[in-house]
Amino acid sequence: MDCDRCGADAVMHAAYSGAHLCGDHLSASIEKRVRRRVRRDELVPREASPENPQTWVIGLSGGKDSVVLTQILHDTFAEDPRIELVGLTIHEGIEGYRDKSVDACVELTADLDIQHELVSYEDEFGVRMDDVVEDDPENMAACAYCGVFRRDLLSRYAEELGADLLLTGHNLDDEAQTALMNFLEGDVGQIAKHFDASLGPLPDREDQDDFVARAKPLRDVPEKEVALYAHLNDLPAHITECPHASEAYRGEIQGLLYDLEERHPGTRHSIMAGYEELADVAATEYGEDGDVELTDCPQCGSTTSVTGDRCRKCTLLDALA
Amino acid sequence: MRVTVDVKGEETHEVDLETAEGTPAARSSPPTYAELLAAIDYSPHEVSVLVDGHPVPEDQPVETDEVTVLRLIKGG
Repeated sequence: MDCDRCGADAVMHAAYSGAHLCGDHLSASIEKRVRRRVRRDELVPREASPENPQTWVIGLSGGKDSVVLTQILHDTFAEDPRIELVGLTIHEGIEGYRDKSVDACVELTADLDIQHELVSYEDEFGVRMDDVVEDDPENMAACAYCGVFRRDLLSRYAEELGADLLLTGHNLDDEAQTALMNFLEGDVGQIAKHFDASLGPLPDREDQDDFVARAKPLRDVPEKEVALYAHLNDLPAHITECPHASEAYRGEIQGLLYDLEERHPGTRHSIMAGYEELADVAATEYGEDGDVELTDCPQCGSTTSVTGDRCRKCTLLDALA
Repeated sequence: MRVTVDVKGEETHEVDLETAEGTPAARSSPPTYAELLAAIDYSPHEVSVLVDGHPVPEDQPVETDEVTVLRLIKGG
């Protein structure tokens, strides 16, 4: 089968649009979608200038998603003096797995001449995920601990690095799964938070002064296309599954979405189109009443919504001590 | 038609496309890569199919007796 645009051999069929694309036109189409998302979410503010450059910190794990995001943002902004990119990598203490993906991050940022910061749970918290899963004092999935620690470090270091924006490599599949999970859990408050945390255009979000704003410029691109982009462009993405990965409910939703997408191409896109609109309405509705009083954790000083008590990270660390 | 499907990092399957589940024996069009994937319980949205190292569209007819399947790795 030939590419619809140039007649070269197609590398994929996007059933949701009917397009057959060759490697070059698939890559160009992905880059176009990422740039359009950057524009639509108004990520480059008017006040950005060569004299007042914006620092964008990218959560760079070394997996395909964050590597592709870093490459495309670099290609887009390398010549733009208004935007400075920094790669932030977190080592969770997972033997064999994270060591290799850190190598991918070092290689990529060296190739692109991007500042790279590496922090670890061990240095920051004195714990390693390999030990946490053995200890497991709260009887939780590994991802439940890891997510709390990762969010804490991403926020803290984004702030320390003077970030104006914290970007992550969530793709269309990730976001459609989260949307469906929030919907099926009936959690409208969480849907509203999702809009203010990362989905809405920056100027439309509720006041987020306490946190560095987040963005997900890959969220219009299906996961498979992200993987093909990394493969076709020979990017140094690390391709091993985390040995502790255990998000059972998300896995169930993922399987459901694969089936739906196969029978009804475009399902992921339509879920997100409707969900974004719904999240906007929910954020407006919850905006004033839903605001949670924020305070500083008495133990570590990080911003938390739990009044008078320690933040979740400190609670978990105490349980692990 | 027998096809060897090497799922990277996992097992290798020998699939007989004439008898594979979900593949009608009597048919007017040749079996596609998507049907080959269905025979080993993968969705085209969770893998890439490579023939001689090059990705191929899954809606295309299988024209080889050896393919490699790359699973997508979450997060990382």
